[in-house]
Amino acid sequence: MINKDLSIDFLGVHFENPFCLSSSPVGNCYEMCAKAFDEGWGGIVFKTIGPEDFEIDEVSPRFDELTKEGTPFVAFKNMEQIAEHPLKQNLADLKKLKENYPDKVVIASIMGPTEEDWEELARLVTEAGADMIEMNLSCPQMTSHAMGSDVGSNPPLVEKYCKAVKRGSDLPMMAKMTPNITDMVPAAKAAMAGGADGIATINTVKSIANVDLEKKTALPIVNGKSSISGLSGKAVKPIALRFIQQLRVASGLEQLPISGIGGIETWEDAVEFILMGSTTLQVTTSVMQYGYRIVEDMKNGLMHYMEEQGVEHLSELVGLANKNIVPAEDLDRNYKMYPEIDWDKCIGCGRCFISCYDGAHQAISWDEKTRRPSIDTSKCVGCHLCALVCPVHAIHPGKIVMKEGREGDPSKIDVVSQRLN
Amino acid sequence: MTKKYETEAPGYTMTTVMEEAARCLLCHDAPCSAACPAHTDPAKFIRSVRFRNVKGAAETIRENNALGAICARVCPTEKYCELACSRSGIDVPIDIGGIQRYVTDFEQAADMHILHKGDSNGMHIAIIGSGPAGLQSATTLLEKGYSVDIYEKNAKAGGYLTYGIPEYRLPSNIVDYEIKRITDMGANIHFNTVIGQDITMDQLKADNDAVIVAIGASEAKILPIFENNDAVETAVSFLARTKEAKGNIELPKDALVIGGGDVAMDVVTTLKNLGVEHVTDAAYEQFDEFRASKKELAGAEREGVTIIDGYIPESVDGHTVTLKHRHINSKMTIEADAIILAIGQETNAKNLGIRLEHGEAPSAGYKTRDPKVFITGDIAQGDKTVVYAVQKGKEVADEIDSILGGNRHD
Ligand SMILES: Cc1cc2nc3c(=O)[nH]c(=O)nc-3n(C[C@H](O)[C@H](O)[C@H](O)COP(=O)(O)OP(=O)(O)OC[C@H]3O[C@@H](n4cnc5c(N)ncnc54)[C@H](O)[C@@H]3O)c2cc1C
Ligand SMILES: Cc1cc2nc3c(=O)[nH]c(=O)nc-3n(C[C@H](O)[C@H](O)[C@H](O)COP(=O)(O)O)c2cc1C
Ligand code: SF4
Ligand code: SF4
Ligand code: SF4
Repeated sequence: MINKDLSIDFLGVHFENPFCLSSSPVGNCYEMCAKAFDEGWGGIVFKTIGPEDFEIDEVSPRFDELTKEGTPFVAFKNMEQIAEHPLKQNLADLKKLKENYPDKVVIASIMGPTEEDWEELARLVTEAGADMIEMNLSCPQMTSHAMGSDVGSNPPLVEKYCKAVKRGSDLPMMAKMTPNITDMVPAAKAAMAGGADGIATINTVKSIANVDLEKKTALPIVNGKSSISGLSGKAVKPIALRFIQQLRVASGLEQLPISGIGGIETWEDAVEFILMGSTTLQVTTSVMQYGYRIVEDMKNGLMHYMEEQGVEHLSELVGLANKNIVPAEDLDRNYKMYPEIDWDKCIGCGRCFISCYDGAHQAISWDEKTRRPSIDTSKCVGCHLCALVCPVHAIHPGKIVMKEGREGDPSKIDVVSQRLN
Repeated sequence: MTKKYETEAPGYTMTTVMEEAARCLLCHDAPCSAACPAHTDPAKFIRSVRFRNVKGAAETIRENNALGAICARVCPTEKYCELACSRSGIDVPIDIGGIQRYVTDFEQAADMHILHKGDSNGMHIAIIGSGPAGLQSATTLLEKGYSVDIYEKNAKAGGYLTYGIPEYRLPSNIVDYEIKRITDMGANIHFNTVIGQDITMDQLKADNDAVIVAIGASEAKILPIFENNDAVETAVSFLARTKEAKGNIELPKDALVIGGGDVAMDVVTTLKNLGVEHVTDAAYEQFDEFRASKKELAGAEREGVTIIDGYIPESVDGHTVTLKHRHINSKMTIEADAIILAIGQETNAKNLGIRLEHGEAPSAGYKTRDPKVFITGDIAQGDKTVVYAVQKGKEVADEIDSILGGNRHD
């Protein structure tokens, strides 16, 4: 079995591997976090701790899932708030975790309605022995508007609360951002101005995943009614990657240290977040669906990837994709590439024909006798919708030509993806 | 017509293997893994596939089973892992063999080198026979740092993998590749060498710290009425020469095969694949007590083989065999160009100084009366299948290691 060093330093803290539980029910108490450490996670962000007097009163049921065809958990919607255990017990759990797992990273997530609460919580978790603090500025379903994503989308408040936390603790601190804004840059800059050492993102995306057609309300149904609340899991990955990319290339935030979150479930997802500029990774939904054991394949797959890439330290991979994601106006628009059909693979289903006609440029014709498609290059615009719909991956990149009157060497144009399919 | 004989059914692609892996319930304490005789750990490698970690899946298979690509193709999974699969409670079990094949094909395409020889501990082991049991025990011993010499009476290694199981079920290039991994690790194979004839057992014992006898049941049984008849050939002889010639053999006009096990099914399906139009199989068992696996029986039926169940040969005159039903008053006479006997194989342990009863050790385990000599594979007690041979190979290696204390050098 391959074995490679996956360790990485983030905000001055050493992680044996970048995989952490994100703050949520998957890290709700000592026993859960201990089991996660035993199964190989490098760190945990403990379920968000609030002030002593903030009463948590949860709904039941509190989850919903978005499905597509046979696939469950395409996305996951939750209506949970923050830790329901008493403050004292949470602090005792943090302390015991650090005592029994000195080499693992214990991160305290905190949230409060006032500057005083933030400062006091920061002081308490520091005393309990946490290695780092994460400020939850982003829960979209708090019952108080003085807490949660309403705060995270208000840069002056973000800065004020970050300063308060820094007064209460000198631990490395990351501010957890909400995706429920158009541009995350101002909020992130405010956090850094307030003393944050890095950014964790994303928290959940405000959503309604499904509507019950009889009861005429969203799911889950809480005694006849429902609410907008946070969506997580695979479907939010593209949103998370987009925000991370935007933060990493914003002027003034270059090399921003990021803990990436949102829909991570395989080693490939993990690598994507790292290439986009995440140093550590956080996971909840796929752990809720499959259990802590998923970290085994994430770690092993990441090791194989490093081996293939000839990379000895994970840090070498951080942010490698940032420079290759450019504004749309900077892309090469001088050529087009035709699709090519592999006749050994084609099973004659006709899906490419339908999609090209109904969704593209009527460039594929269909021979009813032989049940085979053929591509008319005079009509084909090279969009490759046909390749995406082909169920047997019989359509692959073919000939590349320069558009009329444009300069360039087609043999140097690179469009091939290495992804397994 | 050899194309059909030489062509294996197509395997999964990444997309289709994911569809199959997505059917897996990812069971806790998975029953499939508990039911795999060689502890190949299907639940673990299917989960790796599900999380798109094919290399990790390959490591799991290879580290547990040096013949993982072969087992993927020939295991009677309906009796082992797939019999236990929880998914049967919903519809049909996960195609574990198929997923295992996808992963090991990927491993081969990616040229992964997962197993390595351990640091040398200075001890030498001789293995008689290069069938699956011999190959797996060699692998485990090499990993532990022993040097290994395998003595094989045939010109090629693999035992029944090379000289038995037909090409369409187990391509020879797969077998050769699996063996190459093991010789690359450092196993030294001496071909065309019969122990007990070319080299004595005493000699082997004197030159080595231990000797493993893994000779399988490499000779065919013959019923007395069929002796000295030119029309008659044994199943293993027929399958061996067909595989060696890649199917380019002279075909009989029609054939009668005697026997109702998997070997008989391999013979009739091979004959059909090669283009013999009329193939009849006469089985001792009735269908409700059939020995051949359902998969193999279905394969033969699909090819259009005539199967006569419950009959035993009573007499033979040249090409004409008279068969009699075991229970009802019924007889029939069949004339065939070729008569092939698939009534079982037996062991030839001449001059090896080991005691066997009906081709099997008289007691469980791998020890013999001679403290330096061990047995494994089909001649040890337990199922006579490749995956069992793999497990027995691992176990005999572990037992020798615990006795010789090679571990101390780890
Ligand atoms: C036609 C056929 C189809 C089969 N299909 C399947 C299947 O689909 N799935 C499955 O799981 N099992 C199948 N089996 C059973 C399986 O092949 C055996 O259980 C397995 O090969 C046993 O392994 P082994 O290493 O003990 O012996 P073998 O494979 O029999 O190997 C023994 C080796 O020892 C060598 N040898 C013998 N005597 C000496 C000597 N004195 N000196 C040197 N070398 C010697 C032989 O030449 C041979 O290479 C099949 C068997 C046959 C015959
Ligand atoms: C049930 C549930 C409860 C959560 N509770 C918290 C919380 O207390 N504090 C917090 O910062 N984030 C919370 N989150 C958000 C997650 O930590 C994470 O940011 C988000 O789910 C995206 O990651 P994922 O796609 O891996 O789940 C919660 C998420 C879920 C699903
Ligand atoms: S979608 Fe693919 S398989 Fe289907 S007809 Fe087109 S090329 Fe053939
Ligand atoms: S080795 Fe054979 S029995 Fe074991 S899991 Fe693989 S296919 Fe199943
Ligand atoms: S028993 Fe079947 S469903 Fe369960 S883990 Fe094994 S293959 Fe998957």
